[in-house]
Amino acid sequence: MKAKAISIHSSRGGTGKTVIAVNLAAILANKGLNIALLDLDFRAPSLAKVFSKGIKFPVRCWLNDFLNGKCSAEHVLLDISKKYNLKGKLLIGLANPDIEAIRNIMEKSRAWEVTAVKKLFSLLSSLFNDKNIDYCIFDTSPGIQYSSINAVVSSDISVIITTLDSLDIEGTENMLSDLYDALAKRTFVLINKFSPETRLQSTENQGDIVNRVERALKHTVIGAIPCYCDVLQTERTSLLAVEKPSHPFIKNLEEVVGKIEHNI
Amino acid sequence: MKVELLLTKLVDEFSLVNQKLDSLIELNKKILKTQKEFLRRVDSDKSLVETALKLEPDPMTLLSLPMSLRTTVMALYKLEKATAEDIAKETKRLRAVESSAANQLVRLGYLKKTREGRDVYFYIDPPLEIRK
Repeated sequence: MKAKAISIHSSRGGTGKTVIAVNLAAILANKGLNIALLDLDFRAPSLAKVFSKGIKFPVRCWLNDFLNGKCSAEHVLLDISKKYNLKGKLLIGLANPDIEAIRNIMEKSRAWEVTAVKKLFSLLSSLFNDKNIDYCIFDTSPGIQYSSINAVVSSDISVIITTLDSLDIEGTENMLSDLYDALAKRTFVLINKFSPETRLQSTENQGDIVNRVERALKHTVIGAIPCYCDVLQTERTSLLAVEKPSHPFIKNLEEVVGKIEHNI
Repeated sequence: MKVELLLTKLVDEFSLVNQKLDSLIELNKKILKTQKEFLRRVDSDKSLVETALKLEPDPMTLLSLPMSLRTTVMALYKLEKATAEDIAKETKRLRAVESSAANQLVRLGYLKKTREGRDVYFYIDPPLEIRK
């Protein structure tokens, strides 16, 4: 199997990107694969909070420091596999949630962004060639901005998360034509948080919803995950794929994982 | 009388032309002085010219480039420094296509190229502030 980089992206915030990225990584690692999960959402970092139970603070080297050339790839990755009793390896790279670090990233020049995307490629090369990583997952910022475009450019496959909200669908449609088609990237759409009320007709099932969105977006939809209120209310520090592996949300995600692997 | 009036008018006109010529000569002196100063500064700091001619092929700029050029830049993000043949292996396009695209990007100011023996290497020039 050839190592792959997968970016998890969306046109707007609140679609469930981070929950999906984190649990996808945990599901794959629990299958015995070696996974790296990188927080490329520098404007609203969240993985430091999600994995706060599994890491030691202060963090020695953030992804921000790596991209600024202040530390090596070796120091930016934290191995949390043992903390969560995973079968495979799970390495994480965290974005600095400090307000100064967020401000610093927002002030970067276009020249710096060129260096950042090159550093991202070198990090991927080190993960795939030296650390035997099978998949690297990027949790990105929503919409079209530098950190998310850098992630999309350096990834092999992109998964765009959308809800059935019309603004979300329209945003996804624009992003697919303006960004993904322009970069000729292999892209899949994943519907998240759909509720029975969003069905057009009472007879419309999950498959019909997938077909309807697929026709509207003209891209493959690899799944539709219903809205689970208990997932939304769960503590962000709890890793559902590890703590409740039989939860329907995780079962749905396992199907998505199967489809991604099949398409690769 | 009519001829006298005409001659007076002609003298006035010539006087005006003379004034305009004087101001043009003054202006030309200023231009030459500025040009001399610019050339002196360029000679002492070559990076000024380099910066003026250089464009950053950042990921956002990629979106405004034609697809044929975009693919080449994306390959160079990964390869750092590469021949047209190396780029062709990465993009799975013909070497001639990559050579043409890379040379076009050099002419546009997005890439640099250097000859090492028989090979020509293309690369994205690191930003000046990062090189320092």
